[in-house]
Amino acid sequence: MTTALRVEGLTKRFAGMIANDDVNFDLLPGEIHCLFGENGAGKSTLSSCIFGFYRPDRGQIFVSGEPVHVGSPIDAIRHGIGMVHQHFVLVPEFTVLENIIVGTQRSGIGLKAADARKKLSRICESYGIVVDLDAYVWQLPVGRQQWVEILKALYLDARILILDEPTAVLTPGESRILFNIIGEMCARGLSIILITHKLAEVMQSNRVTVLRKGRVVATLKTSETSPDELVRLMVGRDVSFSVAKPALAPGEEVLAVEGLTARGHWGETVLNNISFSVARHEILGIAGVAGNGQKELFEVLCGVRKPDAGAIRLRGEDVAGLTPRALMDRGVGHIPDDRFREGLVPEFSIAENLVLGWQRSPKYRTGLMMDRRAIADLARDMIAQYQIAARDETVAAGKLSGGNAQKVIIAREFLHASGLILANQPTRGLDVGVIEYVQRQLLKKRGEGFAIVLASEELSDLFSLADRIAVMFKGEIMGIVDPRTTTIAEVGVLMAGGREGGRS
Amino acid sequence: MIQFERRTETSGVWTTISFAVASLAGLAATAVLLASTGADVLQVFGALVKGAVGSPKALATTLVKATPLILTGLATVVAFRAQIWSIGQEGQVFAGAMGGYLGAQLLAGLPALLFFPGVLAFGIAGGMAVAWLSALLRNRFGVNEIISTVMLNYLAVYLLSWLLQGGPWGETGGTISYHQSPMLPDAAFLPALMGSSRLHAGVLLPFLAAAICALVMARTPLGFEIRGLGYNPEALRHKGVNIGRTVTLIMLSSGALAALAGAIELFGVTHRLRADNLIGLGYAGIIVGMIGGLSAWGTVLAGLFFGALASGAVYMRVLGDVPAALVPAIQGITLFLFLCAGVLARYRIVRVVVQ
Ligand SMILES: Nc1ncnc2c1ncn2[C@@H]1O[C@H](COP(=O)(O)OP(=O)(O)OP(=O)(O)O)[C@@H](O)[C@H]1O
Ligand SMILES: [Mg+2]
Repeated sequence: MTTALRVEGLTKRFAGMIANDDVNFDLLPGEIHCLFGENGAGKSTLSSCIFGFYRPDRGQIFVSGEPVHVGSPIDAIRHGIGMVHQHFVLVPEFTVLENIIVGTQRSGIGLKAADARKKLSRICESYGIVVDLDAYVWQLPVGRQQWVEILKALYLDARILILDEPTAVLTPGESRILFNIIGEMCARGLSIILITHKLAEVMQSNRVTVLRKGRVVATLKTSETSPDELVRLMVGRDVSFSVAKPALAPGEEVLAVEGLTARGHWGETVLNNISFSVARHEILGIAGVAGNGQKELFEVLCGVRKPDAGAIRLRGEDVAGLTPRALMDRGVGHIPDDRFREGLVPEFSIAENLVLGWQRSPKYRTGLMMDRRAIADLARDMIAQYQIAARDETVAAGKLSGGNAQKVIIAREFLHASGLILANQPTRGLDVGVIEYVQRQLLKKRGEGFAIVLASEELSDLFSLADRIAVMFKGEIMGIVDPRTTTIAEVGVLMAGGREGGRS
Repeated sequence: MIQFERRTETSGVWTTISFAVASLAGLAATAVLLASTGADVLQVFGALVKGAVGSPKALATTLVKATPLILTGLATVVAFRAQIWSIGQEGQVFAGAMGGYLGAQLLAGLPALLFFPGVLAFGIAGGMAVAWLSALLRNRFGVNEIISTVMLNYLAVYLLSWLLQGGPWGETGGTISYHQSPMLPDAAFLPALMGSSRLHAGVLLPFLAAAICALVMARTPLGFEIRGLGYNPEALRHKGVNIGRTVTLIMLSSGALAALAGAIELFGVTHRLRADNLIGLGYAGIIVGMIGGLSAWGTVLAGLFFGALASGAVYMRVLGDVPAALVPAIQGITLFLFLCAGVLARYRIVRVVVQ
């Protein structure tokens, strides 16, 4: 059988490092082929080379057995290759339809919106994708933006679709739908390259190629391997999936929220009468399908959004409405879920990002100047400690792989916070080895007496880490449960808006 | 087939080549322009170079002409690096001159060591006041700074016009008004650096200002915030930076630099308040800052280059009938080509073998 796509001896170097080293890879028609590997292993780089975004230093790409030159995404599209990037590239001010047709128009000057609409409706219908073509992209939750990217590729008649961590921003429900659609595409003869860190998803593929430090370690039939073997191949050691959580009695209360209410841009209620508290030595989990107010809750707690009613007390002091600065000075650390927009300045170096927000701190200054030596030393420390894959501390954060960028944020917040850590989806996009590391760090902070608010879409994370779990639905807390006496299924009911389940 | 391809990292050599090519192309375009007016291209270029750097006097003129351009260029750098598109440099130059003139009235008689810092401070305060208005409009009412600064530019220019013609500062001789103020007293002339030449002490200030700008940008927390604001204001807001206050600070610094240009023109060159020397300095500064790549020392180089052009142009015009508009034309051509070079530097040219 001819391969849909074949890559031979592909090598890609970035200043001072090899991101892909003599990679051989092939994709069969109708196959889901997973790329699996640590953060920074070179998965996104490989797909970007295939999509013509980067120009490989060496190597040849074959489509349907024919050698092709893919010098740009336009070439890739001509060869029937489509890609959904790890970080979306949509124009927020455009509607879904406009985003799809702008830049993809192949002939003619006028935008043939009517034709495009017809074609897109047909695609949506045949795959069962539900997207409002006239909605503005900024109005869409990130999960929906993913559909737009996929639609765009289908609209361009892609036969080979590269999905770079598509489910990182999807809710479990949306992920299931995505996998149904992927299955449908394969049934129609499309081939999928899927990049994911989630083992459950990897196991749904036909084959897996494991990358380590830019090299192919193995290509295996999924049915002939196991998650344990894959992880061992990926990191070269065993990873324990359940971290041991020592029993600790909660100490005095650190954060207490009472009757917190906030309104959105259009006056709609985004947080409705939220009350909870977190104590020293305690991790409060926030469960819920993304888009049910978690983001807004974190924004209010870290000071970038003003609450409309309610009280927030930090160690007894009313801090509702204080600025982010004032809260940071009171020891609040915040890991936002949108890392490149809210957590990092992509053009800044790793070192600069590690002190972002603390640039005026005397620790990082000598007189009026910033203390470059101290900052560089700190950065080298953090790079070693968090195993951030980068040549050195001067690399721009925007050039890091998704997972490594996240590590920079985590390192910064863990370093500067004292007392309270607000973590919104901190392990999203991290490889299992790093997830294990972050979980250990969270538990270590818990042991040191921090109070932690942790939101995650992975219920298994919450069940292994949290002391209590608050479930959010439509801006409200449906219940706060004890993970030791509750099942995942019961939490699932609350996440869907059910009310049963005890409060504690 | 030749194709352009985006680079993943820029190369120093290629960037240098791009800008060298742009400079040569600029020269060629200028030559074509000159030839089309019927001038002897080589003779004109010779005169240009001679007038720019051909003698100590020419060099002095170059420095004097470069001084306001570098300062307004730096004003551009400070604002544009933070992606604050202030084009209020023009009005701030005028405000700086007016503030300086007011200071000269109030501080007359003070010893030079107090007088000059004092009047320059008055000038700077004038520019900062104008800039502060734009910052206020932006922070309070969300008024786009491009719009507010352009409006304030007109305001400043007309204010000076009114002050000089019919207003309190105009010089009236007999029956006509000259659209300028009376001459300042000798004591208010910026001292000359060498003997009686036109090289006034103010030419040192742009270099000092550039050094401070470069240092602040690269090494201080404020510079960190300015750069960060240009790249990703949202992340800065999340990390506790007061965006409104930073914007105000940036606009005030930018206004101060532009105003200093106006005040130095007044005390160093014209010695009386008049509009014709000030017109265009602010807008030219935007070009100088952009050509300088929005870096402080790049701006010094670009400012010196255009200072030399302006100085050479004077000599050139004495020599023959070369149109006065030549210098702005060269400025425009250079900016255009340098912007092209800036884009080109981010691409590589590849030969593609079509299968
Ligand atoms: N434009 C770039 N310039 C320099 N280095 C880069 C660039 N893009 C990627 N890299 C480096 O190449 C390596 C591979 O990055 P890549 O994004 O392919 O990793 P990844 O496997 O997709 O990781 P993740 O799972 O975290 O997304 C990383 O170490 C990264 O820092
Ligand atoms: Mg990636």
